[in-house]
Amino acid sequence: MFLDIDKKERAHIAMIDDLGQRATYGDIVDFADVICKAIAQRTVIFILNSNCVGSAMGYLGSMINRVVPLMLAASMDAELLAELIQLYQPQYLWKPIAMLKVDETVLLEAYDYALVATGRTGYPLYEDLSLLLTTSGSTGSPKLVRHSYENLEAQARNISAFFELDGTERPMVDLPINYTMGLSVLNSHLYAGATVLLTSMNALHPKYWEFLKAQEVTSLTNVPYYYEILKKLRFFRMNLPSLRMISQGGGKLSDELYRECAEYAHNTGRKFIPTYGQTEGSARMAYLPAELALEKCGSIGKAIPNGKLYLVDEAGNPITTPGVIGEMVYEGPNVTLGYAQRGEDLLLGDERQGILYTGDLVRTDEDGFFYIVGRKKRFLKLWGYRVGLDECENIIKSAFDVECACVGDDTCMRIYVNTETAHDEIKRYIADKTNINSAAFQVCYVEQLPRNEAGKILYSKLQ
Amino acid sequence: MMDNYWKIFQELFGLDEDFDKGKVVRGEISDWDSVGHIALVTKLEETFDIMMEPEDILQFKSFYQGIDILKKYHVDL
Repeated sequence: MFLDIDKKERAHIAMIDDLGQRATYGDIVDFADVICKAIAQRTVIFILNSNCVGSAMGYLGSMINRVVPLMLAASMDAELLAELIQLYQPQYLWKPIAMLKVDETVLLEAYDYALVATGRTGYPLYEDLSLLLTTSGSTGSPKLVRHSYENLEAQARNISAFFELDGTERPMVDLPINYTMGLSVLNSHLYAGATVLLTSMNALHPKYWEFLKAQEVTSLTNVPYYYEILKKLRFFRMNLPSLRMISQGGGKLSDELYRECAEYAHNTGRKFIPTYGQTEGSARMAYLPAELALEKCGSIGKAIPNGKLYLVDEAGNPITTPGVIGEMVYEGPNVTLGYAQRGEDLLLGDERQGILYTGDLVRTDEDGFFYIVGRKKRFLKLWGYRVGLDECENIIKSAFDVECACVGDDTCMRIYVNTETAHDEIKRYIADKTNINSAAFQVCYVEQLPRNEAGKILYSKLQ
Repeated sequence: MMDNYWKIFQELFGLDEDFDKGKVVRGEISDWDSVGHIALVTKLEETFDIMMEPEDILQFKSFYQGIDILKKYHVDL
C-alpha cells in the first residue's frame, strides 16, 4: 500500500488538524476502502486543498486506490480553476463541504469534505502516473508535473532517512500540501509512522502558536520568508521544549538569517537542516547535514541519499573544478516523469529517465558542497512561492490591451508594459490573480519591448 | 501623528484618503496578509521608534485596534 500505511500501528494517530479533526493510521486504511467503493480507479480527481485532515484523507484515499490527484489550493481563483477543469476533465472533485454548489452530485461526505462526480468521462492514463502538481500554482498555469508511484515512495523513504524520522515525530504542516514541499513533509512523516499536525493558519495568527504549543510540535519546515516572520516574532528566544528540528527550502535564506538559524540550533541543541528541491524532483534533492550548518553557511549541501548532483557547462560537459559556475543536474529515483500541458499528455511515459536539468546556476567549494548563485529558468520565487514569468505575461495580456514582459528577482517582479496608464490596475489584477501581496510587483513603462529579429523578447535588456 | 499613522496604512495597502477606516482589518484588505503585516509592523517600529512585543504583533488586527496597541509604547496618536 502507498507509504506502507497499512503496516503502521492501526491505533496510532496519523493526523491532527487545528479544526479538531484527527485520524489514525487505521482510519486512513478504512477510509480508502470506503472511497474505493465510490470511485473508479485510474481516473483524475482534483483535490481542493486547505490543510486539514479532510483534504489529506481525500489525497491518501486517492493514492491508495490508484486514482490520480491534481492538488490545488481551495482558495485558487475560480476562473483559473474552471480553465484547469476544462483542460484536464477530472471525473471527480474532492472539496470542502462549505464550497459545495447546489447542482453538484455528491457521492460521499467525510471529514467536512465531499466527493463530487463531475459527469465527465474518463480517458487513458499512463500506468505509472500517480500524482499531478502545478509548476506555478498561483497563476493557474496548465503546465503540470507528472509524478510516478516510485517518485513518491522514493521521496518519503529518502527524506525520512536524512531527517532521521521515526514514529515519535510531530511535524507542523502549515506549508500547503498542494505545494511539493508541504506534501513531502506529509508523505515522509506518514511513511515514518509519525503524527502530522495540519493547519491552514500562518505564523502571524495567535492560534497558530496555541496549536503548535498544545500539540507539542517537534519540527518546522518552511520557506525563507517564514523565518523572516519568526525573527520578527523573536522566535529564537521562545521557549518551545518539544521542538527538535527546523528546516528550510523553497529558495535562498539571506546569509544573515541562515547564520541566525544555524546559531539558534547550535546553541539550543536542535537541528537546522537547509534543503534544496523543486517540484520536478519530487521536492528535496539536496540537504546540508545539521552538524555542518555553521561551517558551510549558505550551502544547500550535497545530494540526498540515493541521489547524485553534478554541474555541467553550456555545452553539457561536466564541471569538476571548484568555484566554476554551471547548471546543476540531479539524478535519482525522485526525478519526475515530465510535464503535462493537457489531458492527452497524461498518457505520456517517463521522459526524463531519472535525469533532471535543474535550471539553477551553482558552484561547488573544495569539499564538494553546492552553492546556488542564480537561475536559468523563467520563474521567480516570491515569498517562497514559485511564479512563472510567462504565465504572468499571459494573464496580464488577456485582461489588458498591452504588450507585456515580466522579469525580476525573488524580491520583486518587474512588469514592463507599453502603456503609461493603468499601472495600478495591472498591479492589483496580477496580485489578485496570483494571490500574492502586491508589494511583490512593480509596473514599469517602456515605449517598445526590446525584441530580436524573430520577434522574441530580449529579457536580458530589461534586467 | 494620526495623519502619519493613517498614511502608513494608505501607502502599504493602497487605500484612498476617504477609505472607511473601520474596514481596515487584517485579512480583509487584500494586501494586509502576512507579508503586508510584517511590512506594517516594521514601518510602525521605524516611524515611532519602538519595538513591538511578539504578542502585540500577533494581536494587531485592525486600524483602530492598532491605536490602542501603540498606546502601550507611549505613542499617543
